[in-house]
Amino acid sequence: MDAVKGRNISFPRYAEYNCAFRFIIEEAIGAKYIMPPAITRRTMELGAKYSPDFVCTPFKTTLGSMIEALEAGADTLLMTHGLCRLGYYGELQEQILRDLGYKFEFVNLSEYDMSKKKEYIRIVRRLNPKAHPAKFLAGFMEGLRMVEYLDEMTAEYYKNCGFDASGGEYKRIYQDFLTAMYTAGSRGEVEAGYRTAKSALRRVPLKKPQRPLRVGLVGEFYTVMDAFSNLEVEQKLADMGVEVHRWMNVTNHFLRFSAEKNMRVKVRDLCAYEMGPTATPNIFWAREWAERGFDGLVHIKSASCTPEIDVMPVLQNIGADYKIPVLYLTYDAQTSDVGLMTRLEAFYDMIHMRKRVL
Amino acid sequence: MEERKMVVGLPRAMLYFRFRILWRAFFEELGVPVAVSGPTDREVLERGTDLAIDEACLSLKIYLGHVDALVGKCSHILVPRVSNFGRHRNMCTRFEALPDLTRNVFRNTGQKFLTYNVDVLEKKKEEDAFLEIGQALGYPVRTAKRAYKQAKKAELAYRKAKAREQDTLCRETGLKILIAAHSYVIEDAYVGRTVTEYLKQAGVVSLRADLADWDAALECSQELSGTCKWEMSREILGGIAMYENVVDGIILLSAFPCGPDSMVNELVTRRVKGVPLLNLVLDSQTGTAGVETRLESFIDIIRFKKGAL
Ligand code: SF4
Ligand code: SF4
Repeated sequence: MDAVKGRNISFPRYAEYNCAFRFIIEEAIGAKYIMPPAITRRTMELGAKYSPDFVCTPFKTTLGSMIEALEAGADTLLMTHGLCRLGYYGELQEQILRDLGYKFEFVNLSEYDMSKKKEYIRIVRRLNPKAHPAKFLAGFMEGLRMVEYLDEMTAEYYKNCGFDASGGEYKRIYQDFLTAMYTAGSRGEVEAGYRTAKSALRRVPLKKPQRPLRVGLVGEFYTVMDAFSNLEVEQKLADMGVEVHRWMNVTNHFLRFSAEKNMRVKVRDLCAYEMGPTATPNIFWAREWAERGFDGLVHIKSASCTPEIDVMPVLQNIGADYKIPVLYLTYDAQTSDVGLMTRLEAFYDMIHMRKRVL
Repeated sequence: MEERKMVVGLPRAMLYFRFRILWRAFFEELGVPVAVSGPTDREVLERGTDLAIDEACLSLKIYLGHVDALVGKCSHILVPRVSNFGRHRNMCTRFEALPDLTRNVFRNTGQKFLTYNVDVLEKKKEEDAFLEIGQALGYPVRTAKRAYKQAKKAELAYRKAKAREQDTLCRETGLKILIAAHSYVIEDAYVGRTVTEYLKQAGVVSLRADLADWDAALECSQELSGTCKWEMSREILGGIAMYENVVDGIILLSAFPCGPDSMVNELVTRRVKGVPLLNLVLDSQTGTAGVETRLESFIDIIRFKKGAL
């Protein structure tokens, strides 16, 4: 497909999903994708510096990532629509970047009515007037498949990597898988990357006790998934020898939406209505894991995240009813590794001791 | 057991200030007595702060304090869920969570809560919601429908009158300041009133962005922000757009850490030029300490600018 000349599109960093964004922009739309650099302290500091003080942290992180994308040569920034404050991120971020003097085209999905199919075509045409509908569809579907593979492998990884008996094989295979996804240029490469990693992971010897410590993660959409934002909380827990579970990811939340609708039914006694963008699955899984005898729950959110603050009283009640420890973590641009480690270690000691006593 | 008399408690906080006419008229039409909690004071705020998650906004802390003041004193306490009135007409997510949040906080008190659900995107209109309450209290649909229609009329008349009042204030001579805030922040006896009282005794005419004609305001909000999706923020934005040229200054008054305000007020600061702006953020710790000094110097600056012209 002919790539449109002179259009370099970027989308801020979001967990490891940028490999799929790249695939869709390049293979489905036929434009060039600029990969923003991985998030670092600098990204956070840049974002925080130019953001309003008490906006939620993902706003700052994504703003920082946009600046780094512009520095890396992007001339078109794409920003998503969404529930909660997310749907308003784009307009304010664009204003801040313009006030700073950056030159770019901004494609804000919040300006489109995303419940209408027609709008998708308008967006694709805007990004590349020569985009081919059939090719777009095929590329788009493969991009979504990549998201599913990513989520499947990531879930598998954090459940098991703490019990790797080979001395690092598990992690290496997962990293290689990510690299394969970031560099895949065709459907064949995506599929091959996935299959190779999947069978390789299966061959790694694991040393897992009969009843390992199991911890379930719930929380706010961005921070619970983005390893840099949550200071690699999943890896840290896994390294202590914990089986880490997290249901929340793009596949489960967006691509299998009906699952969530059905969860509503089971949490009616705890919450009669939908309390916020991710309330139902968070409450559902917190209780589900408690009932399945998990050893602890971790609730993760960015500072001042309204809907997650509102879910906390429900989680507190679940914690009390099922006598399951819940660790509440709030992240802002200043949250330190050391502070987090101290809290995780205390949490680990507690669930470890309880397991021995119970 | 003795059958307790029906009294519906209305916490004097949050959406009370938006819907009080509608609520009171509705219950009056039905013949259901209501009890409103007293104005916010230190004690209400402290109690609410104890009950709320630390990071919650000041408005929620105040709200829970008011609910607490009513617990055990009414047969029901009204806690609505108001999610949206359509596309780009959302409420802050806190108003989606409110009934369940409140139930979970007060679950050991045995208090009954009366809730209703407005979620137009999910096909739940306000009228249906009020029929729900009517039913929950044992009234036939027809009676509830009539009560709602009457109440809605009263609300509309009240809103029109308030909007006219703002337009009249516009024509006053003297120094005029526009306050941009959620109704429950500005009208709260313990927080917002400090600001309005101060302006009054300083001889300033204060207008309120949130009282501008709502339909016109929703429309005008587009001038300032094309994708703002919060109903109440859009009313305020619209009010700012409608009045920015007739006032001498604008105060952005916010409850810490308000989600919508954290973004909308930043946008206003960047887009509204040529009118002095003051950002006032109130929280449960500092409360209104220092507010008067800041208001005083803000008024000085405006007076100075005016005199220099
Ligand atoms: S869910 Fe939380 S972090 Fe996400 S936009 Fe809403 S307030 Fe911000
Ligand atoms: S709009 Fe702001 S003040 Fe009102 S409930 Fe939401 S966060 Fe609190």
